Amino acid sequence: MPREIITLQVGQCGNQIGMEFWKQLCLEHGISKEGILEDFATQGGDRKDVFFYQADDQHYVPRALLMDLEPRVINGIQNSEYRNLYNHENVFIADHGGGAGNNWASGYHQGKQYEEDLMDMIDREADGSDSLEGFVLCHSIAGGTGSGMGSYLLETLNDRYSKKLVQTYSVFPNQNEISDVVVQPYNSLLTLKRLTLNADCVVVLDNTSLNRIAVERLHITNPSFAQTNSLVSTVMSASTTTLRYPGYMNNDLVGLLASLIPTPRCHFLMTGYTPLTVERQASVIRKTTVLDVMRRLLQTKNIMVSSCARTKEASQAKYISILNIIQGDVDPTQVHESLQRIRERKLVNFIEWGPASIQVALSRKSPYVQTAHRVSGLMLASHTGIRHLFSKCLSQYEKLRKRQAFLDNYRNYPMFADNDLSEFDESRDIIESLVDEYKACESPDYIKWGLEDPDHILTGEGNTTGTVDPKLSL
Amino acid sequence: MEDDQRVIDLVKELVHRLLNTQSPTDSLSNRKNTNTATSTTTQYQQALKYAIRILSSRMTPSISADEAAMAESIKRQLATKGKSSDALTFADLYSKFALKTGSGSVNNKWAVLYLLKVISEDRRNHKTRSDSRVLNGYFGPALSGGLPALFENKLIENSRDFNSTFRVLSRKERIEKSLNDGLLNDNLSGSTDNVQKLRGMSDNLQKLRGVSDKYRGSNDNVGGFSDNLRGLRNRENLEQGWNGGVLMVSKDSENIRNIAYREFANFVKEENEVSEEVLVRDVLYACQGIDGKYVKFDKNVDGYVLPDLVKIPRATRTLVRTLCELGWLFRKVRGYISESMDQFSAEDVGTVGQAFCAALQDELSEYYKLLAVLEAQSMNPIPLILENASSGNYLSLRRLSVWFAEPMVKMRLMAVLVDNCKVLKGGAMAGAIHLHAQHGDPLVHDFMKRLLRRVCSPLFEMVRSWVLEGELEDIFGEFFVLGQPVKAESLWREGYGLHAAMLPSFISQSLAQRILRTGKSINFLRVCCEDRGWADAATEAAAAAGTTTRRGGLGYGETDALETLVSKAAKRIDKHLMDVMYNQYKFKEHCLAIKRYLLLGQGDFVQYLMDIVGSELSEPANTISSFKLAGLLESAIRSSNAQYDDPDILDRLRVKMLPHNTGDRGWDVFSLEYDARVPLNTIFTESVMARYLRIFNFLWKLRRVEHALIGAWKTMKPNCITSRFFTKLPQAVKLQLILTSRRCQVLWDEMNHFVTNLQCYIMFEVLEVSWSNFLNETEAAKDLDDLLAAHEKYLHSIVEKSLLGERSQTLYKSLFLLFDLILRFRSHADRLYEGIIELQARTVVPSLPSGDKIKPRRPSNDKSSEPGSWLGEGRKALTQRAGEFLRSMGQDIDAISKEYSSLFQGFISQLPVQQHIDLKFLVFRLDFTEFYRQSRESC
Repeated sequence: MPREIITLQVGQCGNQIGMEFWKQLCLEHGISKEGILEDFATQGGDRKDVFFYQADDQHYVPRALLMDLEPRVINGIQNSEYRNLYNHENVFIADHGGGAGNNWASGYHQGKQYEEDLMDMIDREADGSDSLEGFVLCHSIAGGTGSGMGSYLLETLNDRYSKKLVQTYSVFPNQNEISDVVVQPYNSLLTLKRLTLNADCVVVLDNTSLNRIAVERLHITNPSFAQTNSLVSTVMSASTTTLRYPGYMNNDLVGLLASLIPTPRCHFLMTGYTPLTVERQASVIRKTTVLDVMRRLLQTKNIMVSSCARTKEASQAKYISILNIIQGDVDPTQVHESLQRIRERKLVNFIEWGPASIQVALSRKSPYVQTAHRVSGLMLASHTGIRHLFSKCLSQYEKLRKRQAFLDNYRNYPMFADNDLSEFDESRDIIESLVDEYKACESPDYIKWGLEDPDHILTGEGNTTGTVDPKLSL
Repeated sequence: MEDDQRVIDLVKELVHRLLNTQSPTDSLSNRKNTNTATSTTTQYQQALKYAIRILSSRMTPSISADEAAMAESIKRQLATKGKSSDALTFADLYSKFALKTGSGSVNNKWAVLYLLKVISEDRRNHKTRSDSRVLNGYFGPALSGGLPALFENKLIENSRDFNSTFRVLSRKERIEKSLNDGLLNDNLSGSTDNVQKLRGMSDNLQKLRGVSDKYRGSNDNVGGFSDNLRGLRNRENLEQGWNGGVLMVSKDSENIRNIAYREFANFVKEENEVSEEVLVRDVLYACQGIDGKYVKFDKNVDGYVLPDLVKIPRATRTLVRTLCELGWLFRKVRGYISESMDQFSAEDVGTVGQAFCAALQDELSEYYKLLAVLEAQSMNPIPLILENASSGNYLSLRRLSVWFAEPMVKMRLMAVLVDNCKVLKGGAMAGAIHLHAQHGDPLVHDFMKRLLRRVCSPLFEMVRSWVLEGELEDIFGEFFVLGQPVKAESLWREGYGLHAAMLPSFISQSLAQRILRTGKSINFLRVCCEDRGWADAATEAAAAAGTTTRRGGLGYGETDALETLVSKAAKRIDKHLMDVMYNQYKFKEHCLAIKRYLLLGQGDFVQYLMDIVGSELSEPANTISSFKLAGLLESAIRSSNAQYDDPDILDRLRVKMLPHNTGDRGWDVFSLEYDARVPLNTIFTESVMARYLRIFNFLWKLRRVEHALIGAWKTMKPNCITSRFFTKLPQAVKLQLILTSRRCQVLWDEMNHFVTNLQCYIMFEVLEVSWSNFLNETEAAKDLDDLLAAHEKYLHSIVEKSLLGERSQTLYKSLFLLFDLILRFRSHADRLYEGIIELQARTVVPSLPSGDKIKPRRPSNDKSSEPGSWLGEGRKALTQRAGEFLRSMGQDIDAISKEYSSLFQGFISQLPVQQHIDLKFLVFRLDFTEFYRQSRESC
């Protein structure tokens, strides 16, 4: 009963980051590209069976489902050196291979069409595990397949495996550049609804921020997808280390996420990682102590969600929860010292309606991957600042919607047939209330929020109490 | 005898005459001296006694017996004093005196002359020195010997009247003088050369005997002797004023000496019923612990005594008593030895006692040798006077006292030791003897050292074989290491101990500890570890210490050698033991295993176990089969990373069911156990394991609470609940639902925060920190005791910091109240969310907007199986029922929330009060954002 986690890679982006993720995992566990355990990988202590299972010939097979509506990326994987790693039965490519055309509705509809095939694969994989912990979905929310088919899968999984966890690694589009996908705001909005309602945890990977990090932190002028994807794979593998290297605490995904997500609706997590390197690029090697790592993790420039920066309301943003996964040789006593320093310097702003603290999980570093740094850290945090990302999505959607632009693409599909755009409105409402929920969390009176304000006019309340905090001014 | 009697008669007569004739002349010169009749008789008695004493003494002049030279010297003396006429008269008289030969003449002319000279010299001395004579060394002994004051007065008085050259006061005095000189001479020379004196004395006595024999055989019988004296007096007619003063002059000097001796001998005989030879023999007997003829052991006095009835001088008596002390001491020592010999088999003697006895026996045999020599000598008769300087090996009491001087010291020491050691044995005995060895006298010191070497040799042998071979050859319980038959697991702790009473003081406490531990280590290796390698280590150690393993390599006084031996041996054996513990018995691996399984360090294993035994443990304790639990444990091991662990380690991990009371659930009695086995159970003793068990139970409970909270979270996890908020419910119900569930969530968050941070604290500040300290200490550990101490410290720190210590009882209790409350909360939360889901299931069907469209394959068993009964009752009823449900749930949750916060506040406020442990980490973690402090301040 290894609490297996099944990874679903949907769409172009999902498969790309998924591939990077498996590469990283194979490296860390000492598994070769063919799935054979390397001779040197004899030091036990790691748990491979969470993400892998062993075939009859003892070679390790990832619990991964590769799904796409167009063959390009998956064919690329299948022609790569890792082709023998995956179970070929777990690959789904739509027969026509035409993709979803960056249309959420198309992806969603096709998902429904291929539901049987898809769910067969999922069921088979789920049946092959003793005690399935949950699913991890890798996708982007902007395109067609990842967002549309991903959304459909989310709904289906939520329905069929309601007891299982569903975690997503969702790549948010880069909002700084003009996207070639003009309907991106529609896709994002519609996907966000499913992420809000049907996912247990969404790890937000903001392409805006990933690019910024690649440029600013890694000094790459024009970061490629491969480079940003490797950042994502780093985050993904780091966030699963405690599952793969069992220790005293945080040995299962539920335990990991439960502490992070005390309020069910606020289940969008932002991440930070330090020190970052890409493709073993020999960047300047910095001194890494636990304190250094933990302090850097709290710096916005290291956070892979951009939205909270440079806004007026950023100062009121509060952490609901923080989990730092520290890897490497760490003296446990350093953790306490670091926490003390962080509190003394008031580096972190927590919610006021309940107790909170920085959780620290210590995890082993893979003995097979040589890194220049002694200590590295990943932060998973629930932060109210993430609402600005949603607000931005909302505002971009509103712009398009006002103009009634590109809606015809959607009307071709059953959900929006007969000019029924209620799905858009409903999604908008849900995202709006999500933003409100986050805003309310910034207020110390979150518990009572909604009681005096049945009409959802509580955004203001959150603001006023947030700005004038009598205790802080004392 | 006849002769003796006659001599005594003669002396009596002499004294009688002297005293009688003296009184008229004395009265002329000294009128003050009015002699009454009584005083006369007492004077007579005293004088007689004195005379006999003098005669019985063996005095001899120191100058050679040359008659002519003596006469010449007197003449010269007179001439130098300006009394030339007197000198002439003397020369004339002397020539006449010297010519007198034949029967009736004085035999011992030289003696007479010498007497006269001495008297005259004496008088002169008295004049100059006046009364200080008493202080004069020459007379001191004589006076203290009982010289009556009578004569002293007379001497002084007479000295004033003394005009003429040859004025002789009395014969006795003369004899006294002459003999006294000899005696004093003897005394003086005796102090320098006892043996010679003794020899000389025996010679003298022999001669005296010879003299008396000659008398007996000669024509001149004793009667004639007195006639001679009278005749001599008449013929010589020495002095007119010499009223009745009798001058007895023998025919020759040889003669008069013999007579003196004879008289002295008689005197001695008269005074002493027992002769000195007999006494000497008796003393020698006594010194061998045998009763002599006279000297017998008197139980009442507890000593050898000469019965009062036996008439001997007091000095002799004293001397005998003094000498007999040796006998008494000997008796004591021998008594001890024989007593011990009899009990050799008995436990209360022991080898040290035996060695002590043997050493004493050896000393005694030395003593016997001496006694044998002395006994041989005692056969030689004691001469009365030294006639010849080398006159044989006779033994007198005085000589004996010299002979006995050294044995006496030793015997006394032995007797003291015997006294001290009577009740002691083994090391205690050696220690007691050692205390006496601290003596400045080199004689005593050497003696004691010799003795101690013997006494300690069995002890050191024990140390040697203990330290090098681990053998406890101590059947008599003498060694300071005490072995007890114990089970293998408690061999180290209880198997051996220091016996403080048996620890000789020359072995320091720390050395003793090291000795104890070294042997213990060997035995531990042998018994518990079934290891043979120690022997190599021991041999090496012995070789390194420079002592071979043969017996008797060490001795008393070589404490340094002992220290080196012990420390070298200890070092090697300890190292070997550590190697065995670490490598063969994998001490660290087992510690780690205990940490991983009993202290729940292996998270995945614990999780599976929790998952699969959870339902089982919710049953009443008495219905649970431990067999089944063992099976579950097995499958938990197989499913987790524990499966890669050493099978030996996994084999030791067992399910343990605590004794249960009625009403106990499985949770209360379930625990894990680790079978450390020999030899590791020396470290992981039952009490240690009991403490581990307590920690396990605490951590297990903590895990269970965490598990419950996670379980609660699962029922309200985002994709289960979020969508419910957007369903089309009546506004009021929806609001109530949202608020109630939020309250529940916030409370959950608070509880989860507490449990998570408590776990973090346990992990970082308790387990990991203690563990890393423990690892450091095991690195530094040199012997098993260090290891034990390190482990003890490790365990203690965990127990204390986990609030399991004695002093944290109240904290621990409130902690458990909190745990129980959280478990109770879980059931409420479950009920709430079940209710919400049910509520939704009954309401959403018709209002689900895209349900039909989106999810045609939605498994709708809950919906279809009970077709919306609530709906059937109408919307209003539904709203009412939902409202009621939510309200009551809300109240429950509020109640729990209140209880929780009061309990929690109580708990957190107790934390800083704990003086004995540093809980600031826990406080810090629990109140990282100062949420609780602020809420307390606002209260």
